[in-house]
Amino acid sequence: MKKIKATVIDYGMGNIWSVTSALKYLGCEVDVSSDALMIEKAQILILPGVGSFRKAMNALISMNLEAPILNAVQNRKAKFLGICLGMQLMGTKSTEDGETKGLGLIPSSVEKFSSAEVADRKVPHIGYNQVHFDSDENLFKGISGNQDFYFVHSYRMLPPDWKAGVSTCNYGVEFLAAYENENIFATQFHPEKSQTNGLKLLDNFLKA
Amino acid sequence: MLKKRLIFTLLYSSGLFMLSRNFRLQAVGNLDWLQRNYDFSRISNYIDELVVLDVTREKRNLDEFCEVLKSITLDNFVPITAGGGVKDVDSARKLLRSGADKIMINSAIFNNSNLAKVLSEEFGQQCVVGSIDLKRSRSGEFQVWSEDGGKLNDVPARELLKRVLKESVGEIYLNSMDRDGTGQGLDLEILELLPERVSKPIILAGGAGNSSHLMVGLEDSRVDAVATANLFNFIGEGLKEARQELVSGGIVLPMWDLEFRTMHEKSRPHSLGSHE
Repeated sequence: MKKIKATVIDYGMGNIWSVTSALKYLGCEVDVSSDALMIEKAQILILPGVGSFRKAMNALISMNLEAPILNAVQNRKAKFLGICLGMQLMGTKSTEDGETKGLGLIPSSVEKFSSAEVADRKVPHIGYNQVHFDSDENLFKGISGNQDFYFVHSYRMLPPDWKAGVSTCNYGVEFLAAYENENIFATQFHPEKSQTNGLKLLDNFLKA
Repeated sequence: MLKKRLIFTLLYSSGLFMLSRNFRLQAVGNLDWLQRNYDFSRISNYIDELVVLDVTREKRNLDEFCEVLKSITLDNFVPITAGGGVKDVDSARKLLRSGADKIMINSAIFNNSNLAKVLSEEFGQQCVVGSIDLKRSRSGEFQVWSEDGGKLNDVPARELLKRVLKESVGEIYLNSMDRDGTGQGLDLEILELLPERVSKPIILAGGAGNSSHLMVGLEDSRVDAVATANLFNFIGEGLKEARQELVSGGIVLPMWDLEFRTMHEKSRPHSLGSHE
């Protein structure tokens, strides 16, 4: 069987090793790249990310990666997965360290969990929490409804007002936990850190 | 619902893994020993997080530590916190590129108080874990130590915790030096030092020698996670058994379906632990 090949976008902000390690475990061939041409041509793109939104977005822009990513995803319909900060970067904008514009692939903005939302819960939201999904066709194929995924974040996106492809998690407020729309996929949690549940989800993404 | 976490902590020093007792280190074995007795690609199925600390007292070798971190984290799909001697963004970034998801800082809280802020500006606050080592004085008061337990700080423990909770750290790891490695159980009195409302996750460490010690910690509402670094008490199937006992004792731990992994590894053409 021909190996699936994925390109992990390296813009200096990701836990690259963990993501590539999980992809390789699944038998995937992995390119780690910050090369605009490679990203432009890739079939499967993954945008990981740990860090602050503004720094990450500035890094993508200064490395001239924003346009190649958008071109690959919107025009060529390359399969795209944003993880954690990678998902947030897909939003319209974020308020982290002052307002910053995002890639605009998901119609939702990124804001800090407010104390009114989380009530007496702690922020960051760190640990394993249950994800509620409607469809078990793509990302969540074969994953039963009560499984946990690992979250670590202080900022969240609220779900758009439709159901299809929208998965949520409750932390005082229902926030966007995963998103899928045609070739565009995203998870606020870290599938590469969510044991077999996450491996299964990544495997589903690669095969979707 | 957010689940509580069971954390295993590995102490590494110049090529060897260490058992610590009241912060005195004893070498247990090298990476081969560790992998023989703690196959992390399997054991990680039974823990919720792994902490790996470089506790080398002399000169630390960051590149070597990063290589060790890569070996340990291969096929290990839980969050990894790494620490020990992190002084700047560059060393933190190196660790984050070698398998770490979070960075633990300890002495820097005292001698480089800007570090938490600098790291969180770069990687986000959720990426920084503040670790605090506590030891009782003769009169029984908790005191705060740094530099691998070598330096007593004169700031009162209660005050320090209040300060660190306000700083740019995402989580706080509280370690009892008196209980460290003794297997006598976690010191829950440490939690009395915390203010009434704590806005950040608290990890309690030091002294857990069996599953009932872990249980007592996890049952406490002030505790989000418990950690043990006892290499001898949880050897072999120890962590698996401890987890099963915690779950049957009513602790709500994360759940995952192990079958996918078993099936996948059976069908994989290449041998385990190698991606080539």
